[in-house]
Amino acid sequence: MPPETLGPRVAQHLLNRAGYGPRPGEIAGVLDRGPTKWIEEQLEPGPDPELDTRLAAYPAIAYPISQVLDLYKADSRTTGVILDQFFSAKVVRAVHARNQLQEVLVDFWFNHFNVFVNDGFDRYSISSYERDAIRPHVLGRFRELLGAVTLHPAMLYYLDNYLNTIPRKQGGREVGGINENHGRELLELHTVGVDAGYTQTDVVEASRCLTGHGIFNIGSAGSYRYSPALHDNDAKQVFGLSLPGGGGESDIERLLDYLAVHPATARFISRRLAQRFVADDPPEALVSRLADVFLRSDGDLREVTKALFGSAEFWAEAFGAGKPRTSFEYVIGTLRAAGAEVRNALAARVAIRDSGMPLYACNPPTGYSNRGADWLNPSAQLYRMNFGLDLAAGAVAGVTADIRGLIQSGGGDPNDPSSSAEAINRVVFGRTLTPASLAAAGRVTSSSGVPVAARVAGLLFAGPEMQVR
Amino acid sequence: MSFDVSRRVFLRGAGLAAVGVGIAPSSLLVRTALAASGSKVLVKVFLRGGADGLNLCAPYGDSEYYNLRRGIGLPRPGQGGGVIDLDGYFGMHPEFAPLEPFFRDGRLAFVHAVGNPQVTRSHFDAQDFQESGTPGDKQTGTGWLDRAIAQIPGSEVTQAVSFSSQLVRSLLGPEPVLVAQTLTSFDLRARNWRNEAEALLTAMYQSDATKVGSTGLETFEAINTLRRAPTPPPANGAQYPSGNTGNALRQAAGLIKSGVGTRCIYVNVSGGFDTHSNQLQNNINDYRPLGLALAAFATDLGGVLDDVTLMVTTEFGRTAAVNGAAGTDHGTGYAMMLLGGRVRGGRVLGRWPGLSRGQLYQNRDLAATTDFRDVFQEVARAQFGISASLFPDYTPGAGVGVA
Repeated sequence: MPPETLGPRVAQHLLNRAGYGPRPGEIAGVLDRGPTKWIEEQLEPGPDPELDTRLAAYPAIAYPISQVLDLYKADSRTTGVILDQFFSAKVVRAVHARNQLQEVLVDFWFNHFNVFVNDGFDRYSISSYERDAIRPHVLGRFRELLGAVTLHPAMLYYLDNYLNTIPRKQGGREVGGINENHGRELLELHTVGVDAGYTQTDVVEASRCLTGHGIFNIGSAGSYRYSPALHDNDAKQVFGLSLPGGGGESDIERLLDYLAVHPATARFISRRLAQRFVADDPPEALVSRLADVFLRSDGDLREVTKALFGSAEFWAEAFGAGKPRTSFEYVIGTLRAAGAEVRNALAARVAIRDSGMPLYACNPPTGYSNRGADWLNPSAQLYRMNFGLDLAAGAVAGVTADIRGLIQSGGGDPNDPSSSAEAINRVVFGRTLTPASLAAAGRVTSSSGVPVAARVAGLLFAGPEMQVR
Repeated sequence: MSFDVSRRVFLRGAGLAAVGVGIAPSSLLVRTALAASGSKVLVKVFLRGGADGLNLCAPYGDSEYYNLRRGIGLPRPGQGGGVIDLDGYFGMHPEFAPLEPFFRDGRLAFVHAVGNPQVTRSHFDAQDFQESGTPGDKQTGTGWLDRAIAQIPGSEVTQAVSFSSQLVRSLLGPEPVLVAQTLTSFDLRARNWRNEAEALLTAMYQSDATKVGSTGLETFEAINTLRRAPTPPPANGAQYPSGNTGNALRQAAGLIKSGVGTRCIYVNVSGGFDTHSNQLQNNINDYRPLGLALAAFATDLGGVLDDVTLMVTTEFGRTAAVNGAAGTDHGTGYAMMLLGGRVRGGRVLGRWPGLSRGQLYQNRDLAATTDFRDVFQEVARAQFGISASLFPDYTPGAGVGVA
């Protein structure tokens, strides 16, 4: 439950953690209606017609894989246009969506079940992967999410399962064979976690369950297909689960049933969620309670997420030093704080890439780190500071931000440094700016060119408080 | 393939015994070390994903190699697409042709069957064990290179530079590190009020006592160091390939030549080394720019290469046998490359365990006969003069006689 005494700091904390940070006016909104109501609304995402209007500029995000492949065959340059829309839509959603928690969860779960956009067939299927396998399930049952990602063609390609088959004879020589890549990551990264105690034999047995699950006509349909002839139909033993022979395509379903509610999975998933929403090294007691909710609710992710926001550990973080933002969180959070309108997301995407987090381009299946501390380094810091300074100066192409309006909305005078800093502190920082930052911002001059309001906002966007959430 | 324990290394090893493990070296020892190590530089190139040692440095003389690697074994020297012969038994991948002169003149060495004694086939655990230098222990708070840098004087942020998108595990710890993908235009972008913005932001970050504050201050320190010492362009006709590895090694050579005091450089290479499928083409895609970039680096540095030892490593090798998809799965022993003016090269070092059934680890992987920590310590000893163990609860041996 949220603390009894609500202040702007607590409201900012909620908006920073359950979303990508406050836009001007949102802190006041949470304080008016109360955080409990805000969380309830976020857990039941409603319609967002304004976002739909913005997303209408990116029609390709709705294309099925077969259409993407057809367009590619007609003109290979089309793929770049389609991906461009897909990348930009992620930025636009994060900056403008009302259902902020849903966008954060899509990002979290995509990253948990990471695939890599620059990997062959995944260039054509990654948009479908997020839209069809991730997005519908982020507040649903873990088992459904796990099933959707495990058998999606983008995952089957990325982890080479489309090549994982029973060894067989063809024209007198042996072809095919087990490929362990997907079986291993299913256990290590997707469900029970690397420390669960499974063995190399379990990896091979899980891989045997996955044999024959592949991709139909990878060049034009690109759809999921199970091929009985390629499946190893003998009995299997995976990490305590016995599967009799003859199971066919139900082998993987039974394995996923088993793994999806395994206590090790409950803990592994709960820890990941707590790490994303609470702290780099989350309290064990919180992880245990979330794992209990996970098991009791049969892996209902809405219930687990709700328990997270009901925990004392979550709210205590409002009074801590903050969790360092990832590069994506920094760029989006700064755009939101500026009240920015993103008409073209390219410049924001470049800033995110240059500070070390290119969208959908994390090569290894671990996904990007959920630990904030991992994102602190001088190069990323410099790109972030420059993005904040550019944004305040109106120098981010395709983005408009009314900095004077931001200051005036907080009752400040855009020509007065201290008054401007106090106003921005009220409107989007929840009064968390330190005296040192307010003092520094109060010392800006108007010696040449750059107006006072842009300097003050630039410093606060580039400063230490904006680097954390 | 036998150990070549030189007198030089032997004497250093004798010194090691006197120091003992876990005892901080006295300042006297540090000074002695510095006099010996001068301004030498250690470069670590990490091939992330588990690079296959059996096709990087192929044992074409082992009769089992072609049985195990049906369809993906590299042809013998002299055949089309064949390996470049190294010693009559091993051959390096043909895409490393630009490196052949450096092997022939003794500045490039390979160490084979290197590995981690706590075998794990998880990429992420294996990388963790190797970079922390503590196999089996994921809780170690520092990386092995952080512990190495802590023993050399100086605390400039440019003393250790990592070309990566994030701080790498090897450099995790209290020592400052400049993490960067590119050092060009490394400056604050505040047209018409740059100096004012820098002064005010510095004040803001100074008052932040967390890692956010110290990272901000390191950023300004790096900006100022790099503004004072612009990096020189490539010399000696060195031609770097385009792409991340070429860019990183070009900048690494520039930093070394600029004289800002950089002693340790890390280059993260995230290619397609995790060759579960289509291995032959994936290796060509990765090894071509790697070979060109390493050769350009050595050419660019010229005589300065005498002060540099570059080591190429990975987290584990791959299965000895081909899998069902013309690829290989996660394995154990791997091959390292060492490049530098003082490297005792022109040889393939380490003890070769063989590829026959009884010789493979768990009947599937090239066994590891050299603990990676022995080689890492050997290189740190040569470049930084560090004799005390860099690895908690482990006393490295004399090494393989490469550095």
